[in-house]
Amino acid sequence: MLNFNSPIMDTKEYSEIKISEVEPILKINLRGKSRDFITKIGKELSIIPPTESNTSSGNENLNILWLGPDEWLLYSNNKIDLNNINILENKLFNEISKAKIGSVTNVSDHWIMINLKGKKVFELLASGCPFNFNEFKKTKGSVTQTLLNHIDVIIHNKNINDLNLFVRRSFSNHLWSWIKDSSRFI
Amino acid sequence: MFLINCPYCGERDQSEFSAGGEAHIVRPKQPTELSDDQWAEFLFMRKNIKGVQFERWNHAHGCRKWFNMVRDTSNDKIHAVYKMGEKPPIK
Repeated sequence: MLNFNSPIMDTKEYSEIKISEVEPILKINLRGKSRDFITKIGKELSIIPPTESNTSSGNENLNILWLGPDEWLLYSNNKIDLNNINILENKLFNEISKAKIGSVTNVSDHWIMINLKGKKVFELLASGCPFNFNEFKKTKGSVTQTLLNHIDVIIHNKNINDLNLFVRRSFSNHLWSWIKDSSRFI
Repeated sequence: MFLINCPYCGERDQSEFSAGGEAHIVRPKQPTELSDDQWAEFLFMRKNIKGVQFERWNHAHGCRKWFNMVRDTSNDKIHAVYKMGEKPPIK
């Protein structure tokens, strides 16, 4: 059983930005190259992993983010019941890892999800990020992996001015402090 | 500061990448038959030229994939970017 100790457990609201940590969220890293792998994921989850770079696919419960030509991040839209945390992981593990067509790794404790909402979220990100958000913010479902305040992050454009940001647990407190500080001056 | 067109993710800032040195250095087929000098030549000696150079780069803070680049080291002009295993598009 994974130990879900949330490192932040906080929500902050500023004039044009609302930031909140959303946990526990199920996150599974999927790696595979073969056509069988894509087919199996599609069959098990009813979602086809996106093959186009910097995009995502999903339904009302799950999202799959493109991380590389052979790597994806699966995460749940809603908070999960900790008693049922392993059900989906075990199902995918048995169908994919055991069949040796790819790898399935539970990274729920590895990444922390922070939700950013508001009209000025892209101004906040632009203040600490080398990525050009001009096209990104127009495209619902777009994904990027980049640096924010020199920290590796994955950003998922869920909706208009509504982003999910994933950061490694060990950096999450530091990034949270930076986001809070920066939001005050945007 | 310059932009690099990652063959997987598209155009990104240089700060997301790390340089991996000269590209297309072939590993000797029989390392045990080499002298120390020949092995050191393979391991350590690089051309480090001023001008157009073939290099390996890694999109370390993005897709984490390695790729090759043809770059002019004197002015950072990038002539081509291509995936690992592909032939250089220019000579």
